[in-house]
Amino acid sequence: MERKYTILAILLIVLALGLVILPKKNELKETDPRLLLSEIVEKSRYLTVDQVTHRIIENDPTLLLIDLRAPDQYKTFSLPGSLNLLTDSLLTRSNMELFNQPGKDKVLYGNADITSEKVWLLGCRYGLKRVYIMKGGMNEWFNTFVKEKVVSGTPSTADLDLISFRKAARQFLIGTGETTNTPVSEQVKEKVQVIRKAPKASAGGGC
Amino acid sequence: MIGSIISSGIVSPAWDNLFAVIIGMGFGFALESSGFSSSRKIIGTFFGYDFVVVKVFFTAAIVSSLGLLYFSYLGLVDFSTLYIQPTFLTSAIVGGIIMGIGFAMGGFCPGTSLCATAVGRIDGLVFLGGMFIGVFLFSESFPLFENMYYTGSEGAKMVNTVFGISPELFTFFLVLAAIGMFVGAGWVQKKVQKIEY
Repeated sequence: MERKYTILAILLIVLALGLVILPKKNELKETDPRLLLSEIVEKSRYLTVDQVTHRIIENDPTLLLIDLRAPDQYKTFSLPGSLNLLTDSLLTRSNMELFNQPGKDKVLYGNADITSEKVWLLGCRYGLKRVYIMKGGMNEWFNTFVKEKVVSGTPSTADLDLISFRKAARQFLIGTGETTNTPVSEQVKEKVQVIRKAPKASAGGGC
Repeated sequence: MIGSIISSGIVSPAWDNLFAVIIGMGFGFALESSGFSSSRKIIGTFFGYDFVVVKVFFTAAIVSSLGLLYFSYLGLVDFSTLYIQPTFLTSAIVGGIIMGIGFAMGGFCPGTSLCATAVGRIDGLVFLGGMFIGVFLFSESFPLFENMYYTGSEGAKMVNTVFGISPELFTFFLVLAAIGMFVGAGWVQKKVQKIEY
């Protein structure tokens, strides 16, 4: 090997070794309370159950669902691809690595919002990025996708699309879809006015 | 890097295309100056008489890894804002095999074929035409491959997490592997008969 290449190789090894032996920075810094407050006030951490379900169906590789409910509830039913984390072991190294995964949107959900909010706040304190909350948790998901909501009046096109999506999602995720093809709406019985034709006049006379 | 600059609000996303053109020109210039517009040079990797392709790509990998880690250490780059291409294992393997065959047969990869076309090489132009026909056929028949395309989704996976080591240690091993490869390639090149082109 030429001398200049030998020098370059040595330089690269030294630089790489430097990375290994450099003292690790203490990543955990005190979060500015004003910044924390602004993040709490800002509502962009919430994702609706529809948004989350859409991403599940689309098989979004950037989605990481984190189920914060008790293991027995998780075993009974959970969203596809979700991981069950217990809040008391949240700060273990493996769980923190999970939360620190780059390129992933970590979406938290519990039965309601309380546990998710606490974990999200803890995540903010740790400086974790791309952590979201599925608004309303599994209760909201169940109410939206399993229980049918009756739409009063004439639904708009957007409503119809949403209803169709929810039906399809229900069939896709729990396999108990609606059997009728019509959108869920209050069936208003209309009085049908039957206009009877007057009996044809019989031909009178003629040949 | 673009993602990092834009997501941090330094520049508006409206500049995306301009950045893409500037980076593309830089990439093209680097390819041409490394001799990548010559299919004979590229194909040399498979025959053992020229390892410039492997050397350039390994150099790019180790320099960018070291740069990113040092920048991150100094607080100049936020890792979480970098876009990492999600891994789809099945399509990556199948696509890799097809690309490898095309690479060996044509003597170009997509980027270098554009580079060769830009400097007026006919073989580059023919390769580029074939590539566009392939892209068109794939797009038209995509529904047939869709299931295979999306299977084996692994998300944004990092090699160091697969091995359970830190990115710094992985980069150290990568540098050692690259230097080992440079030495090994030089040794093979000496053994193989030189080809003038």
